Amino acid sequence: MKKRAIGQAGWLWTSLASVVAFIYFFPVLFIILTAFRSRSDTLATPPKWFFTPTFDNFYHIFFRSMANSTEYVATGFHMYFFNSIYISGMSVLLALLIGTLAAYGFSRHPLRGNDTYMFIILTTRMLPPIIVIVPIFLIFRITGLAGTYTGIILMYTAFNLPFSIWMMKSFFDELNTEIEDASRMDGASERSVFFGVCIPQVKAGLAATSVFALILTWNEFLFSLLLTNKLTRTMPPAMARTIGGEINVDYGLLAAMICLFIIPIFLITYLLQNQLLRGVTFGTIKK
Amino acid sequence: MATIELQNLTKAFGDLIAVDNVSLKVEENEVLCLLGPSGCGKTTTLRMVAGLETATSGDILIGNKNVNNLDTRDRNLAMAFQFYALYPSLTVAENLANPLHADNLSDEEIKKKILEVADILQLREIVNRKPHQLAEGEKQRVAVGRAIIRDPECFLFDEPLSRLDVQLREQMRGQIKEVLSDLKKATVIVTHDQLEALTMATKIAVMRDGLIEQVSSPHDIFAKPNNTFVAGFIGTPQMNILECNINEINSSIIKIKVLDQEVEIDFKTSLNVNKNDSYFIGIRPRSFEIVDNNTLDNFSGTIELIENMGSEILVHVKNNHLTFRSVQSRSHKLNIGDVINLKPKNGQVHLFNKSGEVIRNE
Repeated sequence: MKKRAIGQAGWLWTSLASVVAFIYFFPVLFIILTAFRSRSDTLATPPKWFFTPTFDNFYHIFFRSMANSTEYVATGFHMYFFNSIYISGMSVLLALLIGTLAAYGFSRHPLRGNDTYMFIILTTRMLPPIIVIVPIFLIFRITGLAGTYTGIILMYTAFNLPFSIWMMKSFFDELNTEIEDASRMDGASERSVFFGVCIPQVKAGLAATSVFALILTWNEFLFSLLLTNKLTRTMPPAMARTIGGEINVDYGLLAAMICLFIIPIFLITYLLQNQLLRGVTFGTIKK
Repeated sequence: MATIELQNLTKAFGDLIAVDNVSLKVEENEVLCLLGPSGCGKTTTLRMVAGLETATSGDILIGNKNVNNLDTRDRNLAMAFQFYALYPSLTVAENLANPLHADNLSDEEIKKKILEVADILQLREIVNRKPHQLAEGEKQRVAVGRAIIRDPECFLFDEPLSRLDVQLREQMRGQIKEVLSDLKKATVIVTHDQLEALTMATKIAVMRDGLIEQVSSPHDIFAKPNNTFVAGFIGTPQMNILECNINEINSSIIKIKVLDQEVEIDFKTSLNVNKNDSYFIGIRPRSFEIVDNNTLDNFSGTIELIENMGSEILVHVKNNHLTFRSVQSRSHKLNIGDVINLKPKNGQVHLFNKSGEVIRNE
């Protein structure tokens, strides 16, 4: 096959790709524009494309007047933002740590009935999570985990583990085990084989898995709604409360929140994009 | 300087017995080739010596010391791998230096050693390249270099040349043989290529289905195979192995019936065989000479096919539904359909019993 460098596609393909990209991006663009519109501009029909931008919506995320009062009070949104980052970050780290170790074990030291174990791990992701919401809610209430950081972090870690293990195992399976054997011959201990030889080779896999897990956790709504309290609440339920609490929906405010909400995930995906691309295409390239 | 000794070594993967009660000894200075078809357990045996695989039972002695419970890194061996196993992110020099880190050498000593090895294997030009920038033969040399850079007790090579093309393989075979003869250490080479084994080894162990079939010098493996498997496995074109019946025994001269004709063969020494029993005779395609008349000392048949082998031709001769093959010089003008008489050369006929073991009077 003829190899073509990036950026050398014909004008036809380039314009077609631009159109498709624009269609995909349009809702996001609309949200971003809405975040900078004033309330009257937001509701105007037909939509106003040219307007004086305002930062009121962003200010209102953190300080706004509550029902029947004109005084601006802190909404505590910065806390929800922090909660989201802390809870997602911790659970992704934990899932990655446990998942990578487990995947290495499953890949390199298979147990009797290894495939069965792997399948059982996968089955936990086969049911929609809502099915187990009642028992989990009860367990959390009895054990006192409800409303704590520990509780929700453990919950999300459990969610992320199955596919972390599966993804990481496939990355470990792809490696040439001769290199590990060679470093054993060269005098490496089992620990340095894992950390020094295997982990550097699956960096792309770690990046892909963590972004995957992060997006899942970052967007999770249901369990956060039920298992967190006022202090440990994450962004998705906090945003939902903004819609429900008022007489009519403040679209500008919501759009501003969404803008803030997508920034961290956007940044991380952007930073890891090279690794991610390699991670996604890993299995398709022959050694 | 140390020897490698395997005592009743067995490895089972579940129900499959990969290596079955193997006992072997490799002396200092000796290059042993484990030779056999794919899946015969030769690589598993090597990996057990390296400590990369745990033996199910049996003992491994390196330098007369039992190493069964010793980790790979404590066995002080060096190994070159089939797929080279170079660290992809390190340069050639760093790859070569890696085995030295455990020895606590100064940077200068390491540098000196790298250059030494680079000179032996002609890697000077490429020491700063990464593995993906190397040609197949260069990668192979780096892999060998990484094995010889340290001063280990013994060397292990796993199919070292299998990934090279024919020309490069021939060249590297000579180079490795040269390097090994300078090192003077017990060495085990695993290969499925008999030419590799015959050229590089001082001793060959032929394996099949986890069992050692024969351990001999390269010459003896070829000239005195112990059974029909070794006889058929070593040598190209393959040895003709034909079922026969013994009709008459007259001290060293035995009259056999094979291919529906009676042939008298002089084995030079009396063999322990019984009249009227059936046996196998084995004759290599190169052990025939063409004679004019069909007498009792030669085989006769019709030429069915002639294969061109360059300087020689491979003639398929058919008689009574059985074919055998003979290599002849191009100077014989032979045509398909000709009747040809072939006389086995003196002392180059092997006799095997029904279960395939050789009958020989040493």
